[in-house]
Amino acid sequence: MKRTVVLLLGLLLVTGTLFAGGAKEAPKAAPKIDLQTATWDQIVAAAKAEGEVTFYAWYFPDYFKEAGIDFEKKYGIKANVIIGDQTANFNKAIAEKDQPVGTIDVMIVGGQWVKTTMDLNLFYGPLKNIIPEADKLAPSLWEVQEGVLTKGYLAPFHRNQTGILYDPEQVKNPPQTWEQLEAWIDANPKKFGFNDPSKGGSGQSFVHSVIAYTTGGLDKYKGDTDLVPEKVANWDKAWKWLQDRKDKLTITVSNNDSIIRMNGGEISMTVAWDDNVSDMMAKGNLFKRAKMYIPKFGLAGGGDTMGVLKNAPHKAAALLWIAHITSKDQQIKKFQMVKAYPARTDLTIEGTLLTEEDRKNNAIPWFPAPYKSHMISEFVKNVMMK
Amino acid sequence: MTGTWNASIRRKQLLYGSLTLFFVITQLIWVGVPILMTVLWSLVDPQHPWSFPDLFPQKLSWAQWAYVFKYTNIVRALKTSYSVAPLAVILSFLLSLPTSYVLGRKEIPGKKFFMLVVLLPIIMPGMVVALFLSRVFSAFHLSQSFLGLVLAHTLMGLPYMIRVLTTSFESIPQDIIDAAENLGANTFVKIKDIFLPMVRPGLLAGMIFAFTTSIEEFNLTFVIGTPTFETIPTILYSFLGYNFIRTNASVVALIMMTPNIIMLFIVERILKADYLSASLGKV
Repeated sequence: MKRTVVLLLGLLLVTGTLFAGGAKEAPKAAPKIDLQTATWDQIVAAAKAEGEVTFYAWYFPDYFKEAGIDFEKKYGIKANVIIGDQTANFNKAIAEKDQPVGTIDVMIVGGQWVKTTMDLNLFYGPLKNIIPEADKLAPSLWEVQEGVLTKGYLAPFHRNQTGILYDPEQVKNPPQTWEQLEAWIDANPKKFGFNDPSKGGSGQSFVHSVIAYTTGGLDKYKGDTDLVPEKVANWDKAWKWLQDRKDKLTITVSNNDSIIRMNGGEISMTVAWDDNVSDMMAKGNLFKRAKMYIPKFGLAGGGDTMGVLKNAPHKAAALLWIAHITSKDQQIKKFQMVKAYPARTDLTIEGTLLTEEDRKNNAIPWFPAPYKSHMISEFVKNVMMK
Repeated sequence: MTGTWNASIRRKQLLYGSLTLFFVITQLIWVGVPILMTVLWSLVDPQHPWSFPDLFPQKLSWAQWAYVFKYTNIVRALKTSYSVAPLAVILSFLLSLPTSYVLGRKEIPGKKFFMLVVLLPIIMPGMVVALFLSRVFSAFHLSQSFLGLVLAHTLMGLPYMIRVLTTSFESIPQDIIDAAENLGANTFVKIKDIFLPMVRPGLLAGMIFAFTTSIEEFNLTFVIGTPTFETIPTILYSFLGYNFIRTNASVVALIMMTPNIIMLFIVERILKADYLSASLGKV
């Protein structure tokens, strides 16, 4: 026994020290230039002097790993691509916020974190006047993301859109108008799903449409930077619509959970993000026969962006990384690998899950962020807790 | 009379047989089915999704495994996880030994309070602990360092090690210590011949807890370790968190689980073989 314990402890010590890796080298000193006024060539030179970039994402590990290899080949700058969890990525960035130099250079910004991170003043910018060909990237996404004014601080790198995903074997005539959707839900209890809006954007998009339909459209919210209480006074109609159908709707716990439940046959129709669906399909998590469209009553869309942290150790390299990801070659490569719709508006893309016609005619913008936050909290209060 | 006795034995055998069968079936459902599902999901061929109403995947392939090894830093993560965990186990044992001795053998004021305090790191939500501790680690320049990572994992393993060792210390009969003292044993002899042999089973149990806690620790590692260090859970959470991809998550879960199960079996065998003799100090 004694020998066993000693042996075990010895073995633990040996394996521990054997594999122990060295600490990270201190960041190289970059030439001191003002990135807002420097020429692009100066920024590229500064990025090369910095020698590396650290990028945090939470999806598409395949594409970003390839993009990192391409970046190293093209510029000779090491790309550390960390694929973490969305919440953990933002928690880490926020935890490091007050440090003079953090560990993250550039990260994906999306979902409900746009408002929090913008309110916290987490990002360096604006980037719009620095990134070459910034004018070729979705102009509205440079200004507003998920209803939050981002004022050119966050660079669009892909667009995504919510739509209705359905199983054509179960749904022969997918609904287009609100009345048709209501009738379908009534005739097929529990077969329509959407996620709790506090857990993902596709559910937010559906509840957003419920509010639009039941309370007289979205135009009245346009341009508001603060919530106007009179404008949300009749939202009880939306909550009533949802409560009346609570027994007929399936509320899931995340964007991906909705897709998983459809793959498992529990539901036949759900609201989902197009890029999510493509990714799940490519990895064998959703049947290939699934179809997707944007109904005529409209669903919201947007895209994800990248932000450079204020305390990024390699700011110039981070800017170069964004330019690399938004370049024509990389945008096409991304679409080919993961079917994510490019942020560039000067590319003609074929073979998308959602048709161009659908995007053009039926995609709707989000209402401003204060209303979105209110929608999420009120949904929990008036639907989930009742 | 013999007939009644035989019938009683048969009833007992039937009862034991039924209970054994119930246990086996429960274990199969509780443990076997999730593991089988994980294995099957990890082998789903991307071109042939596993969907309703198929009971089993249409086609199996290694594509999901190849994907994880090609596109994630899993090899680097494996090296880090299995470097940090052993050192964290040793350190948590050394640090918990004096605390456990005091809590297990001495009557000190506020003992119950201290017992509760040592559990705080596992009672509080992981990310909350991570966010607060990251400030401390940064202040001492321990972020992004291997030593910092070992200390962080030690901290997470300490509550388990302290609780298990405290119970082991508590269970040592005072008679044996008194007898040893009467026979002239000094402190060193008491530690060597009484305390250490008798806490060994607890030590092994604590080691299992501390090791598995370290292997599965995510929050603190992510905040203070990445990007310099990645461990297996940091890869697992990318597929298991917000962007849940069941096929890839299954692969990483199996990679993380297999060494733990092997270690559990080894330690379990050691525990069983030596428990009695160890508890009596006859090794």
